[in-house]
Amino acid sequence: MMLTRREFLGTAAALPLAAAAQRPPVRIAVITTIYKYLSHGQHMGDRFLVGYPYAGQWRQPNVKVVSLYVDQKPEGDLSAARANEFGFRVYPTIAEALCRGGSKLACDAVLIVGEHGEYPNNDKGQKLYPRYEFFQQCVEVFKASRRAVPVYNDKHLSYSFEKARSMVQASKKMGFPMLGGSSLPVTWRLPDVEMPLEAHIEDAVMVGVGGSDAMDFHALEALQCMVERRRGGETGVKAVQMLTGDEVWKSAAKDLLSSALSRSDTPLGLSELDGRVQDLVGDGVLPGLVKHPAAYIIEYRDGLRATMLMLDGAVKDFNFAARVRGTGVISAQFFLTPVPNVTYSACLVHKIEEMFTTGRAPYPIERTLLTSGILESCLDSKKQNSARLETPALSVSYQPPAESQRCRV
Amino acid sequence: MKLAAVATVYRKHSHAQHIVDRFLDGYGWNGEFHRPPFELAGLYVDQVGADDLSKERASRHPSLRIYPTVREALTLGGDKLAVDGVMLVGEHGDYPKTEKGQVQYPRYQFFQQIVDVYRASGRGVPLFNDKHLSWNWAWAEEMYQTARSMKFAFMAGSSLPVTWRIPSFEMPLGSQVREAVCVCYGGVDSYDFHGLESIQCLVERRKGGESGVKWLQAYRGERFWQAMTDGVWSRELVQAALCRSHTLTSPREGFNDLMPTLDQMKQIVKDAVAYNYEHNDGLRCTMLLMNGLVRDFNFAARLDNPSRIVSTQLYLPMPDGRTTLANFFSPLAFNMEQLYANGRSPYPLERTLLTTGLTASGVDSLHAAGARQETPHLAIRYQPSSESTFERT
Repeated sequence: MMLTRREFLGTAAALPLAAAAQRPPVRIAVITTIYKYLSHGQHMGDRFLVGYPYAGQWRQPNVKVVSLYVDQKPEGDLSAARANEFGFRVYPTIAEALCRGGSKLACDAVLIVGEHGEYPNNDKGQKLYPRYEFFQQCVEVFKASRRAVPVYNDKHLSYSFEKARSMVQASKKMGFPMLGGSSLPVTWRLPDVEMPLEAHIEDAVMVGVGGSDAMDFHALEALQCMVERRRGGETGVKAVQMLTGDEVWKSAAKDLLSSALSRSDTPLGLSELDGRVQDLVGDGVLPGLVKHPAAYIIEYRDGLRATMLMLDGAVKDFNFAARVRGTGVISAQFFLTPVPNVTYSACLVHKIEEMFTTGRAPYPIERTLLTSGILESCLDSKKQNSARLETPALSVSYQPPAESQRCRV
Repeated sequence: MKLAAVATVYRKHSHAQHIVDRFLDGYGWNGEFHRPPFELAGLYVDQVGADDLSKERASRHPSLRIYPTVREALTLGGDKLAVDGVMLVGEHGDYPKTEKGQVQYPRYQFFQQIVDVYRASGRGVPLFNDKHLSWNWAWAEEMYQTARSMKFAFMAGSSLPVTWRIPSFEMPLGSQVREAVCVCYGGVDSYDFHGLESIQCLVERRKGGESGVKWLQAYRGERFWQAMTDGVWSRELVQAALCRSHTLTSPREGFNDLMPTLDQMKQIVKDAVAYNYEHNDGLRCTMLLMNGLVRDFNFAARLDNPSRIVSTQLYLPMPDGRTTLANFFSPLAFNMEQLYANGRSPYPLERTLLTTGLTASGVDSLHAAGARQETPHLAIRYQPSSESTFERT
């Protein structure tokens, strides 16, 4: 049964042996744009307060939220209520949240959730969430305190690759672990498959849905977490191109698009009308269903070409397919479980907890860095009439984690 | 190979639409769009209303003809059986209820008409029956015996045993299962059957195989909560099952994913129902309908040697706003294809015979104010198929 934090502590206090056996909880500062119902800040932050379902149990992480900063307090703000109930303070600045009102860093890890809230858009259609600015303020405290702690940054590191790169550089230079990105790479897959390490991937297609600079990032990172496992690991991206309109339909291998869409549980159009199953590719119905298709074409430095298609109007889920030499086609749905529970975020919070408690990021921040850059460059291409853009800055190379990070227990 | 379908009703999101459509239009399977290598040639629909889709389907599939009787759907208008397999989908449609609230779907009556054709033609062909065999135990048993004596392959049941599991867990053959639960949702003589099949497809793999069920007792309302408090079934297992749910209702406003306390569950759940029953080898199982708390099927079991809890969700992509396709019918259709192609059911009919009997006993117990039902007629012994038949590719 659920324990409130107080009850939980009460139980621990009543069991001195058990309490002694446990290391002191990791004290975390939560830095978020907003904290209201169903914002990323709420559903991720809350899991550190009330626990979350994991591996068939209600897991109470050995983590204590000690401070909170919220950038905006819209109607429905829950920050004060949470602070009151769970015994921490909401501070007016990030520095104060990290120092808990003192002069030096007074927490063991930082959770940055810069998603949701009212922020302006730039001319590429990107929402200017202040993730970089939040991160920089944390780094300032680290510097002044001569101590740095693990940082998780939700979603892409920044709308700007330059800013994202400087964030990663700061973490490398100061030697603190950093984790970022989407929950798609770590959620359940249907079927429960992983790309074999060192796979000879010939082509890959990802289908995503939702608005740009929000959901396209998720689809790109889902694609990235699969293709990074290819022969030689990740080599970075040579060029990108974003197509819109009818050109999109020529951009992806038909067999892979068909395979990816065969994994969908949400075809629209006639399936909505009368429940029928549709061969979306074979029946030729995609152009009629998708009013504003977009293709994000990624040319990697080692020659792999991958395509991410945003197909709003055709389906409502995220599906992947790749052709692997010697194996055939590997395909899966990245399963986004229903609102409001969004239990897929529990899969992500478990990874964050792992970094906070072990000091090691379970997968490389370079994945999220590269994906942040791919997204920005694709949006640049769109702005430049779908020109193919060389991307020498995206020569981000890294090795994938040997162990699969998808949820499967 | 030609097939015939016998259905109660063919409207959007009826079982016939989900199942028969997959044989007509195909479905996503194993990473490609799969078109079953069968010709659905004859169709009988018992109730044709304004929302009927069978005519639309026949118009797009010229090889499909709709016939006015079950017999003609199987003989394709001739005088002898003219198909190589039959699917009986007697779910949905307007049929009277028994005094116990069971909808009297005419599965038994359709079955009799089907075997009449088999008898008259001097041969039987593989038959699939959707869901439980009948609301009436005596009829179900007769259907089972008829199939055995006429020696045609007979497959039945729910899609729960064959759909995705999250995580992708199978009960190891020979496991020592001490207790099992399924926390799910839906109505009596409806989704209770799915919950029972969810449990049965996993526990039948235990050491010694299935031994049948000795007795069943149903709990409803206040008696349900008292039994939960008293430990008639394991609260620890209920908790483990709930930790597999993707739809757990939060007990508190402003929290999206929170495990309720027992008191909070009591506030959240509407008309809680449980069927608690004991197998002949001592295994205790409980199917819990907790409407309002979850909208999925979650299994947990306590195993011995070594002692541990295993759990999984039997995942239904549900077109109630969550998806547009009821794609749990895809693995069911795929297993039906194995039935028709191989002339053998991929899993034992005895599973569904047992769950049919459990469903009826659950209804009886509820109707008798929760009185324990002795179930000597459910001493059904069988061995599971060694191969797993749930979706995982």
